[in-house]
Amino acid sequence: MKKQLLSNTKNLILTGVGGQGNVMASRTLAGMLVDAGYIVTIGETFGMSQRGGSVMSHLRISPDSVKSPQIPRGGADVIVALEPLEALRVLTVYGNPQVCVMSNARPVYPIGVITGELSYPSEENIQVAFQRLSKAFWIIDATSAALALGNPVLSNIVMIGALAKTGLLPIDRRMFEKEIKKTLAADKCAVNLKAYDAGGEMIK
Amino acid sequence: MGISNFGYPMNKKPGSQTKLKKDVLEQSLCTGCGACVGLCPYQVVYHDRTVQLHDCDLTDGKCYAFCPRTPANYGQIRESLFDISDVTPEIGAVKGYYLSRAADPALRAKSQHGGTVTALLGVAMDEGLINSAIVSSRNEELKEEGRLIEEKSQLSDYAKSKFTVSPTVAAFNQLMGDVVRKVGVVATPCQALALAKMKTVRIKDGDKINPLNLVIGLFCGWTLSVESFHRLLQLYQISPAALTGMDIPPGKNILELYTNESVTSVPMAEVDACVRTACRYCIDSTAEFADLSVGAARFGGDCDEMRGWNQIIVRSYRGKQLLELAVAQGALEIREAPASALQDLKNAAAGKKRKALKNIVEKSRSVKNLLYLSGDDPVVKKYLSMEKKKR
Amino acid sequence: MTKLLSPARSKVLFLGNEAIARGALEAGVAVATGYPGTPSSEVIESLAHVASERNLYVEWSVNEKVALEVAAAASFTGLRSMAVMKQNGVNVASDFLLHLTASGTRGGLVLVSCEDPGALSSVNEGESRYFARMLEMPLLEPSDFQEAKDLTKWAFELSEQIGNVVMLRSVTRMSHASGNVICGKLPVKSRKAHFEYDGSVMDSSRGPMISTPVVAKHLLHQQKLKAVEALFEKSPFNRYFGAAKPELLMITSSACFLYAEEAIEMLGLQKRVGILKLGTTWPLPPKLLEKHLRKTKKILIVEEVMPFLEENVKILAAGLANRIAINTFHGKYDETLPSAGELNPDIVAAALCHILKVKRKTLPANYLSDSQKAAALIPAREQTFCAGCPHRASFWNIHNAIALDGRKGFVCGDIGCYSMAALSPATGYHTMPTLHSMGSGTGLASGFAKLAQFGLDQPILTVCGDSTFYHAVIPALINAQHNRADITFIVLDNAGTAMTGFQPHPGLAISAMKEAVPAVDIAAICSAIGAKVALSDPFDLETTRKILTSFLADKGLLKVLILRQACALSPEKKGKKIFDVKVNELLCLGDACGCNRLCTRVFRCPALTWDRTTKKAVVDEVICAGCGVCASICPQKAIVKTEASL
Ligand SMILES: Cc1cc2nc3c(=O)[nH]c(=O)nc-3n(C[C@H](O)[C@H](O)[C@H](O)COP(=O)(O)OP(=O)(O)OC[C@H]3O[C@@H](n4cnc5c(N)ncnc54)[C@H](O)[C@@H]3O)c2cc1C
Ligand code: SF4
Ligand code: SF4
Ligand code: SF4
Ligand code: SF4
Repeated sequence: MKKQLLSNTKNLILTGVGGQGNVMASRTLAGMLVDAGYIVTIGETFGMSQRGGSVMSHLRISPDSVKSPQIPRGGADVIVALEPLEALRVLTVYGNPQVCVMSNARPVYPIGVITGELSYPSEENIQVAFQRLSKAFWIIDATSAALALGNPVLSNIVMIGALAKTGLLPIDRRMFEKEIKKTLAADKCAVNLKAYDAGGEMIK
Repeated sequence: MGISNFGYPMNKKPGSQTKLKKDVLEQSLCTGCGACVGLCPYQVVYHDRTVQLHDCDLTDGKCYAFCPRTPANYGQIRESLFDISDVTPEIGAVKGYYLSRAADPALRAKSQHGGTVTALLGVAMDEGLINSAIVSSRNEELKEEGRLIEEKSQLSDYAKSKFTVSPTVAAFNQLMGDVVRKVGVVATPCQALALAKMKTVRIKDGDKINPLNLVIGLFCGWTLSVESFHRLLQLYQISPAALTGMDIPPGKNILELYTNESVTSVPMAEVDACVRTACRYCIDSTAEFADLSVGAARFGGDCDEMRGWNQIIVRSYRGKQLLELAVAQGALEIREAPASALQDLKNAAAGKKRKALKNIVEKSRSVKNLLYLSGDDPVVKKYLSMEKKKR
Repeated sequence: MTKLLSPARSKVLFLGNEAIARGALEAGVAVATGYPGTPSSEVIESLAHVASERNLYVEWSVNEKVALEVAAAASFTGLRSMAVMKQNGVNVASDFLLHLTASGTRGGLVLVSCEDPGALSSVNEGESRYFARMLEMPLLEPSDFQEAKDLTKWAFELSEQIGNVVMLRSVTRMSHASGNVICGKLPVKSRKAHFEYDGSVMDSSRGPMISTPVVAKHLLHQQKLKAVEALFEKSPFNRYFGAAKPELLMITSSACFLYAEEAIEMLGLQKRVGILKLGTTWPLPPKLLEKHLRKTKKILIVEEVMPFLEENVKILAAGLANRIAINTFHGKYDETLPSAGELNPDIVAAALCHILKVKRKTLPANYLSDSQKAAALIPAREQTFCAGCPHRASFWNIHNAIALDGRKGFVCGDIGCYSMAALSPATGYHTMPTLHSMGSGTGLASGFAKLAQFGLDQPILTVCGDSTFYHAVIPALINAQHNRADITFIVLDNAGTAMTGFQPHPGLAISAMKEAVPAVDIAAICSAIGAKVALSDPFDLETTRKILTSFLADKGLLKVLILRQACALSPEKKGKKIFDVKVNELLCLGDACGCNRLCTRVFRCPALTWDRTTKKAVVDEVICAGCGVCASICPQKAIVKTEASL
């Protein structure tokens, strides 16, 4: 068996709601990390993502080996969430006292909340839970920043920019630029870079 | 999430719509009046059926409150609409009772009997008592519906009786809250009752302006179920589209069906089989809660002469005022009814009451359970005890 | 240059399905076919992208059976080909597959089945490995991304070697996971197609491609499979990891290998537990298994869904009973592992803890209790039709028509995004109580409609998507017409196979390879069958409802309503709003009698939310797709739509 310590692998979970650009974000991150020489395994649950369900990507960033595409319970190092409720959902399953959480502030209400059958936790309750269940957390209004740039779908890139700024992952702007040049149409690169920078600015 | 509550939250108290379904629709008590229709997106009428499109969980809703087949305090309603001294047990409030017909022979020719209803609506519009009227019309699917009329000249196009139910109250509901309109509605007894409940029953949302200014009631023995009636037409090879009118000529015990080409007589026994079930439980034959009620004049020896006349009951001040205006304007001719007429009418009306109560008790299997009626109401009490004695 | 054509030796992050596609390219595949279905679609999609560059023929076939037939034709001419499908697709293809394994193949032919343990995006957890045993064909299962590529490549060689189909099975966690792959060489030469048929009937490389004489050919087929067994004994895709004499031996394949590895690491059991990872799972190589079964008394077989490996290993072990002491087998039969649903590292770790009586390190107690408290606050996120989805409007119309008709009609469901109407009943307004395989909605409807003589008086409706129509509905529809079934058949035509990501289908004038092709018109087919056909836009609520109620009332015949409106996520619509939609707060009645939140409580577009403080509906501009349908349902005309400025 390939021998290596679990602590060498960074486990990141990117979560959100169908349609928020979760898959694009996780593939962009993974692309950057592969380029930097890491062995990355991504496990995605996106079969039903188009239909407003929860979407989750597990990224395993290892110096030397392929990992299971599913992170064990309690095994996340970083949680990046495009939606606060989804951050909480992932945190309660994959969290541990060492986990760091980066969450978008803007809720997307589940249909059961809209109809009135269920209720959405208050902002305050979410914050308290983040505080108790993580080592560090950031809540940023990525959607507003993206709307300011003209397209709410850029929130995922704002989140990547913010994540990079925290230094939790070995990624930087140059790597991001290189990756999107490979994957995006040329005319889209500029606005994506702006979104990335906007994210960085939101982290003090 | 259980299917039982359709995914909507369960309310402890049953919702109004659910109660309406259990107490009225599922009991075959629904008259199709349309009072619960058009108030909201959930209750609609299709053909002559009242359909609950989606579930609603509200309590104290208008649908249940307005329905003429949910319990109500009739005493209170009578008090608020009429001079209590005018009220008779058989036919409700009577301020005056006449034979009448439209003065204009052309209008008479277009109308059911004497054209009284149409003529009165015309006068009410002329005199500014109302500026809109709701009458009955047939839609493209040949089904009856309420129609809003704003021009007097159009009224006569919608004259004549349709013996299937026409949810005129649903059309009226569209106008609730309208501050500019003054509306007159032509109503069968159940519809007149619904409109009276809307005026008098207090419900939470009742702050909307009710633009109702006039109710002209129609005498009514029953309405026909659309499905059965269309089957009957088929049997007699009359297409619903060709039908121009129908009537029950006095004394012949038949229903006449008119087309441009022909007159077809259908024995009453066959017609009876098509009567809407709900009508078997209705105790009102003269639209007791209207301002004025109009029916056919059908007594005395000379049937054919009577055919062009109506009998009219004046019930409220508003009704009296309108009748006086109509006579003064020369739009309506009235004459005193023969002495026996009023008694004949009362007897017939009492007969319907007794029969309905008998049917109700048969259905509920208990004199204590009168479905939508209350044994405490003096009128109900009177005819129920007569029925008991007969037994 | 696309990633799929990366030069040899480059290290690339591939989706499992891309790795399979790359393996096929390295093997020199010429023809690739498939029917879209999650989690399989990206194999054909990514090959379609490079079709012209690599001179491939790639098609989305009308269904899986035809896909396999088209691929087989290529094989018969000596070309390498593959057919790709999801688990249940193998059932569709299986009739042909039975005959194909009997006739044999020529150019390498690989059947790829991407399966969905746990039914993450399916309505079944079908298991197609049993087909390998039943139809006697070799089965390969990659357990990481590199293997997904390498095994695929080798599958073509193996197929050619034995002159028969080889099946490659992937799972969602492989197909839809990504990992690093080191690329191999792409071939430069291509083969020329020619179909030889003059040889002897027993010579499948030159003679006619038929299954007769059946018994003689069957024996030959079995001999070849025996030879495969020998090859598998030495296959590098079967590997052992761990101590020479472990306490427990795990036998596993596919993504389960990664779970097993992770579980051992988590529990620090490297010295006590060994893993035999099999890449070739049918036929099982007996000598290799004997060697490993001798290692220990305790065996744990780790696999998803059905106990395929477990059963076959046990059969082998029974045959070896006199040579190896009987082992204790753990797996699904003794309920050490669940018999349904997908596995993950936690489940495997729990099994190890159970067998070896060890404990997993847990999180601090106070953390766990805080975590539980937080979990109690989390509302479920039910799936629903997207904002702007035409299906929501279609089901709204269907519901209303059924309610107005009043005879308790119902819809027989079918497979597509609109299956949601059955999976989450409130989303379909409780109209669709049956859901089975593709096309079976129409077949069921055809059956229900013939039950009038037994007293059934409910109107029967059925729906299908445009892609499903071609796939399997046509025979059922012909059945309905020929047998005079009174059904209202509704085609939810959203111009693409939306559920799996907009693959073209025969109704569109474009092929998988982006070539212009003739579109096959659904309305024309239905008219030709003899049905009464109407067309409407589901967003036009009034017209659609009228057609539907008139269809329900029009008894005794087959009626077809084509509801045409592009998917909200279709490339031509995505991100482009037709209307700007807002709620006029002054008009909104909210939860008062007269509306009671029709839009948020009943209609349930995810973009229409309910403000609990103002008690008014609010349109979330980020989510709203601007379809404008909600404006037509609001009883107060409080939802206002205006043409969107572009
Ligand atoms: C269902 C039904 C049953 C009746 N049963 C009797 C009875 O048993 N005994 C009796 O004396 N009279 C009965 N009438 C009343 C009678 O048919 C005449 O309507 C009445 O005599 C008035 O005649 P007219 O010439 O003034 O009416 P017209 O001037 O012709 O005007 C009739 C008015 O009634 C409206 N109308 C027609 N059909 C309906 C309907 N279904 N619901 C609501 N409004 C409608 C028309 O639009 C028009 O405005 C019944 C009427 C109906 C509709
Ligand atoms: S009238 Fe009111 S209570 Fe009745 S169904 Fe409509 S909204 Fe609900
Ligand atoms: S009687 Fe009138 S109000 Fe009552 S349920 Fe029927 S249509 Fe509605
Ligand atoms: S349907 Fe209209 S009135 Fe009712 S809650 Fe929604 S926006 Fe308000
Ligand atoms: S316009 Fe209305 S129905 Fe359409 S997506 Fe927006 S909120 Fe939903």
